[in-house]
Amino acid sequence: MNEKFSKAIRADEIAAGGMKAVEIEGNEIVICNSDGKYYALQRRCGHMNAPLDMGTLDGIYLTCPMHCAQFDITNGEALSDPVPSDLGKEVPSPIIGEYLQTIGMIMKHVHTESISTYVTKLESGWVLIKL
Amino acid sequence: MSQCKVNIESRKKSLHYFFEKVVGPLGFKFTPDEEIMNFLLEQEVILEGRHGIPFCPCQPLRNDRVRDMQIVCPCIPFHRKHFDEIKRCWCGLFVHKDVLDPDKLPQLPPKELNHE
Repeated sequence: MNEKFSKAIRADEIAAGGMKAVEIEGNEIVICNSDGKYYALQRRCGHMNAPLDMGTLDGIYLTCPMHCAQFDITNGEALSDPVPSDLGKEVPSPIIGEYLQTIGMIMKHVHTESISTYVTKLESGWVLIKL
Repeated sequence: MSQCKVNIESRKKSLHYFFEKVVGPLGFKFTPDEEIMNFLLEQEVILEGRHGIPFCPCQPLRNDRVRDMQIVCPCIPFHRKHFDEIKRCWCGLFVHKDVLDPDKLPQLPPKELNHE
C-alpha cells in the first residue's frame, strides 16, 4: 500500500466551489474545494468517462458536464443516472432512427459506477494526495 | 429502470440539498412533518430511478412532455398561484415558510380556487 503523499496543487489555486484537474503518476484526478475542504477523486465520470472538472460543483455534489450524472465528492458515490434526453414528438428520419436504435442498444449496457476517491491533506499551502 | 445502484438515503440527502436551494427563494420550506418528507423524497428517488427524473409522486404522468415537465419536483414555479393560495405544494413536501402545522392546510385543487 502506497503511504506516500504527492504534491498535487497549491491550495490557493482553487477558489471555494472550484475544481481543477491534475495528473499524478499517470492518474487523472480532479481536486475539489468545497467550502475550504479539499477532496480528490477520479477525473473521469463513472458513466462515460467525461472529464468531471468541466462539470458543476455544488456543495459536496458534482454534476457531470456530459449527461448530468451526479456524484458525492466525499466518497465518490454515484447518486443518479444521467438525465434522459427527449426528442419530443419529432419523428426522426429512418437513418437517424436506425442510428438512435443502435445507440440505445449499446447504452442499455452502460452503467453508472461510483468513482474512486483519494485521501487528501493540506501542508504548507499545498494539497497533498495519497495515491 | 435505474442502471446505477443508487443508495436511497444518499440520494434523498442530495435531493434535499438541491431542492432547498430552489424552494427557499420562492418562500417555501420543507414540511416540518419529517415522516411525510422522508416518505415523499423516497418516492421521488424511486421515480427518478424509473424515469430518470424526480417527478412529483402525487401527480400522474400523462406522457405529454410539456405537462410532465411541469410536475418535476420542485414544481412550485409552474403552479405558483395555486400553491401560494393553499400554502403548500400539491403533495405537501413543501409549505410556506410561515407554516408550522401542515396538517391544517387543505389540499384544494385549482378548480376550487377558480384558477382553471
